[in-house]
Amino acid sequence: MAEEINCEETKRQVHEYLHNELSEQEIVDITAHVANCESCESDYNFEHAFNNVIKQSCDEAPPAELAQRIIDRIRLIDSGRADH
Amino acid sequence: MGDARWSNLNETAMMTRVGAKPLDSEPMTQSNEPISAETRIKEFEEQALPYTRLLFGAALTKTKNYADAEDLVQETFAKAFRAWNQFQKGTNLRAWLMKILENTYINMYNKKLKERGSGSLDDLEEFQIGAAESLTARPQRSAEVEALNQMASKDVREALQNLSEEFRMVVYYAVVEGLSYAEIADVMDTPVGTVMSRLHRGKKALFDALKDFAASEGYDTTPTKEKKASARAAKAGNE
Repeated sequence: MAEEINCEETKRQVHEYLHNELSEQEIVDITAHVANCESCESDYNFEHAFNNVIKQSCDEAPPAELAQRIIDRIRLIDSGRADH
Repeated sequence: MGDARWSNLNETAMMTRVGAKPLDSEPMTQSNEPISAETRIKEFEEQALPYTRLLFGAALTKTKNYADAEDLVQETFAKAFRAWNQFQKGTNLRAWLMKILENTYINMYNKKLKERGSGSLDDLEEFQIGAAESLTARPQRSAEVEALNQMASKDVREALQNLSEEFRMVVYYAVVEGLSYAEIADVMDTPVGTVMSRLHRGKKALFDALKDFAASEGYDTTPTKEKKASARAAKAGNE
């Protein structure tokens, strides 16, 4: 049965929640708390939004030739011509 | 309020709960019969190469420059290919590749292992103090979310690059790559507690840096009360 958890515990677990490091029961408890607590909800929203902003900032495509160079390198290794 | 959103988030959390097994560096004896060179290359290209973008992102986060990042990714794939028969099918390929990247980086740049994991800066105690601090009321959170969303990616990127390597990489692995704490601990060769500490503190440091930057660029993330107080303090300082 869902256990009541307080704001302090909820706020402390925000990263563990967003990064999926909690047990299913903990997820259920926190989800219930957050849905009914404006303060915790805004904290969770913040960390969630922050994660998205960080993700976006790191979405950098490698140079187009890199993939081909990797493939060439692998084929070279495989053919035994390059062993390091 | 917000029920639907939270159940969505929760679903995502459940769906990504995979591959939390610790990585195994032991060579695995594969049951399959010897495969032809062509099959091996094809298999590697199909399974490992799709991670090029992610590996490049990690390499760029580590080395902070394009040329080194490209070299690092190439070396990582070369090593991974030579060790391909040691990869245990069904375990997390992304984490396996990241661990190789991490080791390759250490070798390429002659980084000393002793610099890592012994961090006097990030013991658990300090992390606990930090956690208590973050529990103080933050009534301006929605303003902060708004300010964050206005930030240019390149500014966020720059702030991330300014974090020290341990913090930067933990934030990167957890937030961008979605590795589990156990996987990050394995990749970075640190205890899980250290991973948690670095993630919490790294994100906080990143946000503080962004807040300073935002203030200097004229975004406003400060609640009115604090603003008045700091204006008063500045005035007092001038007199």
